[in-house]
Amino acid sequence: MEWGEEVSVPGPPLPMPQQQPELRFNYRSTHYLTSNGFYEFLNWFDERAWYPLGRIVGGTVYPGLMVTAGLIHYVLNMLHMTVHIRDVCVFLAPVFSGLTAISTFLLTRELWNQGAGLLAACFIAIVPGYISRSVAGSFDNEGIAIFALQFTYYLWVKSIKTGSVFWTIACCLAYFYMVSAWGGYVFIINLIPLHVFVLLLMQRFSRRVYIAYSTFYIVGLVLSMQVPFVGFQPIRTSEHMAAAGVFALLQAYAFLQYLRDRLTRQERQALFYLGVGSAGLVVFLTVIYLSCIGCIAPWSGRFYSLWDTGYAKIHIPIIASVSEHQPTTWVSFFFDLHILVCTFPAGLWFCIKNINDERVFVALYAISAVYFAGVMVRLMLTLTPVVCMLSAIAFSSVFERYLGDDMKRESPPADDSSDEDDKRNPGNLYDKAGKVRKHVSEQEKAEEGLGPNIKSIVTMLMLMLLMMFAVHCTWVTSNAYSSPSVVLASYNHDGSRNILDDFREAYYWLRQNTDEHARIMSWWDYGYQIAGMANRTTLVDNNTWNNSHIALVGKAMSSNESAAYEIMRSLDVDYVLIIFGGVIGYSGDDINKFLWMVRIAEGEHPKDIRESDYFTPQGEFRVDKAGSPTLLNCLMYKMSYYRFGEMQLDFRTPPGFDRTRNAEIGNKDIKFKHLEEAFTSEHWLVRIYKVKKLDNRERLDHKPRVTNTVPKQKYTAKKSAKRKRGYIRNKLVLKKGKRHSKK
Amino acid sequence: MFRKISCLSVPTYFLLIYGLHLAAAGLVNDEVKRTVDLSTHLAKISAEILLSNEGDSAVNSFVVALEPELAPHLAYIGASAKAEEEDDGHLELSETTLPGQNGKFFKVELLSSLAAGAKLRVKVETMLSHVLRPFPTQITQAERQLVVFQGNHYLFSPYPTRSQTTRVRLASKTVESYTKLGNPSRTDEVIEYGPFRDIAPLSQDTMKIHYENNSPFLTISSITRTIEVSHWGNIAVEETIDLRHTGAILKGPFSRYDYQRQSDSGISSVKSFKTILPASAQDVYYRDEIGNISTSHLQVLEDSVEVEVRPRFPLFGGWKTHYIIGYNLPSYEYLYTLGDQYALKMRFVDHVYDDQVIDSLTVKLILPEGARNIHMDTPYTVNRDSDQLHYTYLDTFGRPVLVATKSNMVEQHIQDMVVHYTFNKILMLQEPLLVVGAFYILFFTVIIYVRLDFSITKDPAAEVRMKVASITEQVLTLVNKRLGLYRHMDEVVNRYKQTRDTGALNSGRKTLEADHRTLTNDINSLQARLKAEGSDLAEKVGEVQKLDGQVKELVCRSSQEAERLVAGKVKKEAYIENDKGLTSKRQDLVSRIDRLLDAL
Repeated sequence: MEWGEEVSVPGPPLPMPQQQPELRFNYRSTHYLTSNGFYEFLNWFDERAWYPLGRIVGGTVYPGLMVTAGLIHYVLNMLHMTVHIRDVCVFLAPVFSGLTAISTFLLTRELWNQGAGLLAACFIAIVPGYISRSVAGSFDNEGIAIFALQFTYYLWVKSIKTGSVFWTIACCLAYFYMVSAWGGYVFIINLIPLHVFVLLLMQRFSRRVYIAYSTFYIVGLVLSMQVPFVGFQPIRTSEHMAAAGVFALLQAYAFLQYLRDRLTRQERQALFYLGVGSAGLVVFLTVIYLSCIGCIAPWSGRFYSLWDTGYAKIHIPIIASVSEHQPTTWVSFFFDLHILVCTFPAGLWFCIKNINDERVFVALYAISAVYFAGVMVRLMLTLTPVVCMLSAIAFSSVFERYLGDDMKRESPPADDSSDEDDKRNPGNLYDKAGKVRKHVSEQEKAEEGLGPNIKSIVTMLMLMLLMMFAVHCTWVTSNAYSSPSVVLASYNHDGSRNILDDFREAYYWLRQNTDEHARIMSWWDYGYQIAGMANRTTLVDNNTWNNSHIALVGKAMSSNESAAYEIMRSLDVDYVLIIFGGVIGYSGDDINKFLWMVRIAEGEHPKDIRESDYFTPQGEFRVDKAGSPTLLNCLMYKMSYYRFGEMQLDFRTPPGFDRTRNAEIGNKDIKFKHLEEAFTSEHWLVRIYKVKKLDNRERLDHKPRVTNTVPKQKYTAKKSAKRKRGYIRNKLVLKKGKRHSKK
Repeated sequence: MFRKISCLSVPTYFLLIYGLHLAAAGLVNDEVKRTVDLSTHLAKISAEILLSNEGDSAVNSFVVALEPELAPHLAYIGASAKAEEEDDGHLELSETTLPGQNGKFFKVELLSSLAAGAKLRVKVETMLSHVLRPFPTQITQAERQLVVFQGNHYLFSPYPTRSQTTRVRLASKTVESYTKLGNPSRTDEVIEYGPFRDIAPLSQDTMKIHYENNSPFLTISSITRTIEVSHWGNIAVEETIDLRHTGAILKGPFSRYDYQRQSDSGISSVKSFKTILPASAQDVYYRDEIGNISTSHLQVLEDSVEVEVRPRFPLFGGWKTHYIIGYNLPSYEYLYTLGDQYALKMRFVDHVYDDQVIDSLTVKLILPEGARNIHMDTPYTVNRDSDQLHYTYLDTFGRPVLVATKSNMVEQHIQDMVVHYTFNKILMLQEPLLVVGAFYILFFTVIIYVRLDFSITKDPAAEVRMKVASITEQVLTLVNKRLGLYRHMDEVVNRYKQTRDTGALNSGRKTLEADHRTLTNDINSLQARLKAEGSDLAEKVGEVQKLDGQVKELVCRSSQEAERLVAGKVKKEAYIENDKGLTSKRQDLVSRIDRLLDAL
């Protein structure tokens, strides 16, 4: 899978998911789209990123999000609703999460019944795993992609059920929207063929499946290739080959089915095995052949990392350095899904027990999503909707069984005692006759084994669970997702709040007080933020498409000053920006991420950078006196701790005490030769250094060597009137007296 | 106030005569007290002149002058008469020229003509911006800011001066150097020159003072003030401000450590300043392109609202910042109306910080849609750009926008402007009607869409299904009604048991019979229709009918039983036994009917 934009994260995994700087990029491109038009956007070459390479944004971005926001903005402005594009962007996510809830309702209704659908919609509305993308201000591909995903699945289930081309075309359009919005569309284009394949295996092939899949594959393929970033990938990369294979298989199967009606039993069997066998072989060989001659790109490294979780750590450190790409912990499963993670297997079991075509689909969806979510924190997002649906099914089934007692208790006495019969009003009778009696038979069955006490206890328990779920969701939303990540807040002893707005302070300083074309070097995590907030050229950013460029920046950060200066001069760097949390104890700073920089640099420049140099002989990463000298003299260390050695934060600690790492720094005497402190934010969180231009004349570190120590009076060739005829060294000069001047 | 008069339009000879006339007016500056205030980044020069008319005719005006070197920096000049009866007589100024002389000249009209030999005390105030030149132009963070002022020792006047003193007020005690004409005396922050005697007209002698001045050298390089008037009671004001520190430029690094630890580090930098907003300002916001600026405080005072504006970062020399500040005002304080005539009286420019300097100001005044005959009165000349149109919520033909610009402004320019326009009050209804209309159209379309059939194919099966459904619905209501009849009959029987009124029973029975017949007939016809539609529900309805017949029978029997009981033909116990059996049978039948109905 290809994830267009990535997300910053420091080395040690964070307890809570961070909000993402890619929102900045999305906003910036949407702004570009609205101010320059759609075609300009498609042709946009961003010379402000990846200096000196630049980035072809129009062709390397999924435009769905920007186009959606741009379209809404355009329509509103046409109606003279002067809404700023920023406001559209901010409120896009909540609007789309509403649509997600609706499509989840529709899908669950198709799978189970209306009640389950309603519950599923409620769950997805508040589940923390999805709320991270649906809060206002989360202007993110995933926000609209989850809606597109759910809606595509709904339409797919609908088309499988009806076998109508209308629903399939609608499904293709939804799929097209999904492709234009998020790289996760690969999940759909693999899940739907898988569904069809499993249906074939289960002997559930039908004309409806044939119509639905054939139409979907062809139309969906053509539509998906219209997105510039996707282009010819659907027919050229391995990720999409499963869909093509299943398409071929389905045609062969349908053909055999057709023949079967016209052949005898023996012929049929022979032909069947031969046909299926040869079709499979032909497809397989074609794929192999095409991959060999290079028509089909092999699987990308990111794709491998989905199967082998250790792959990225060894081969692509840059992927491993992103904490969203770490394997998911149990804590985060519970944090994101709470009680649903326990109940959804029950829903899955209900589905499998009463299997039909579309429940096969949801089962496959659940199983694959669970796997992917386990591999990578980030893919938790695809798991969330299916968990909501299946849990809703589970809860709904339980409630159907245990909440039925109210009507049940009313009806039996009606049959038993004649006294009550007279008292009943006609309206009640009408009610019973009309609708409610429907489940009489079911209730009677349940009634046999369950007393009213058990029923009420179970119901109460379930309601308690749901209530706790709601409480958890509220808590998570208010704690983890309600405050902007760019502004940090701390609380004093008396409860008053301190706002640390250092990031924006520094970015705004860059925006206002540096040259418009200044180039800023920073670690790639801050690339989008600098581009968005400071509006300056960056070397690397969160779209980590060029590993060697990032490695070069990593090398500059981890080399000593003069070596780094060489690199920075060759890259035309004007300013260097780093994040330093030692003063306030912010753990996500660059020193904590530093080992990743070293690792990534080592991957490309193994001769110059060695990770082991940055550890103590005991194998520890320390910033204090015991730390390795390479670390203590590298550029990142020097920039982080420049003049920090003089600073005493409080009276209990020595000067230069780093609060993040709880250590007194090892190198307190830091001097720069080629750099100059340009700006440091109020809490030292962001430090910006200016790279000095080469001096006109190289300054010497030491005093110039003086050979002749004797003469005090230097020889001068100046021809003054007095010394016209030459000059004798060390000649005695008669000093004439001087008159005292008045004052 | 000064007013530019185009020189081209005036014939030269007239000017010549005019000039000569001025010179020959015989006015003399008898006694001049000049104060040069250099304690901020502005030069405020005020001169108290005792004007004496030594000519032979009365004069109506006199001329004040400004040195050619300082003329481009002039932000404001004003004159007032200091007569005995009124302490502050404001005088009108208009720009003029003197032939063969450089510099700027303003003609001041006196309130009353000055007779020959009479004396008048006037006060001329001049504000100069950007005249204090930082020297050195670049300083490090630890250094203090030194500035140079270059001016004139004497009052620059077209009239001879008898006696003059000049008092210069500085920002600090530290003075590097100052010109020592006439051996001035210096105490702390004040230098006193003079008195000088008998100075020729238009004489200049350079006064140069090099001193320390750490006051904030803030300059608003541009400000756009947008005022949006709504007749629904609100005036929204938004100011977009570009701010720059125009003092000595910061050289070398900016060290946060020094800035935090040493109080005198970066002493000339600007941390924050106060903006005073009108007292009724509400919903104040302070932000920039990347969001809300969290470092600001708002204080609501009795007669104003004070915002402590703290830029995101301290401003050092040469650094700039940009921000937006906005607030709402209630319109009743600023908008006056008389019939269709409206007048808006607001400040043309408002306070941003004390001793402010605005290099360029743009005021955009957005009036409500439909405002006509717009006329703007300003206290001083401003440049009017062509009007624009602005579209916002529910606008159809656009709101008129007045655009006015002015450059080089100081605090003295904070004055009211008045904008007159006419507005038809009926137009207020336009916007609500637009909303109403839009909703009307929306609902109407939905009604049309729901009521009419827009499908291009006919689906006979669906139609039949719908027909059957409607018939079943009718059957259901009829059956229920019929069941209701039985219950009514039960009541009649019960009543009969108490009252023993046979007539009532019989009439009840009769109505039951009649109603029952009509209902059954209706159901039968519906059943026939169901059959015609080919639905298998007809059979079920038939079954219901059959069961209903039995129920009916039971009901009749129970009434007969009751009759017999009343007649004493059966014993009470037997009756109760019997009745119970009947009721349970009936119950059974009814529930069967219900079940059948459920299945319908």
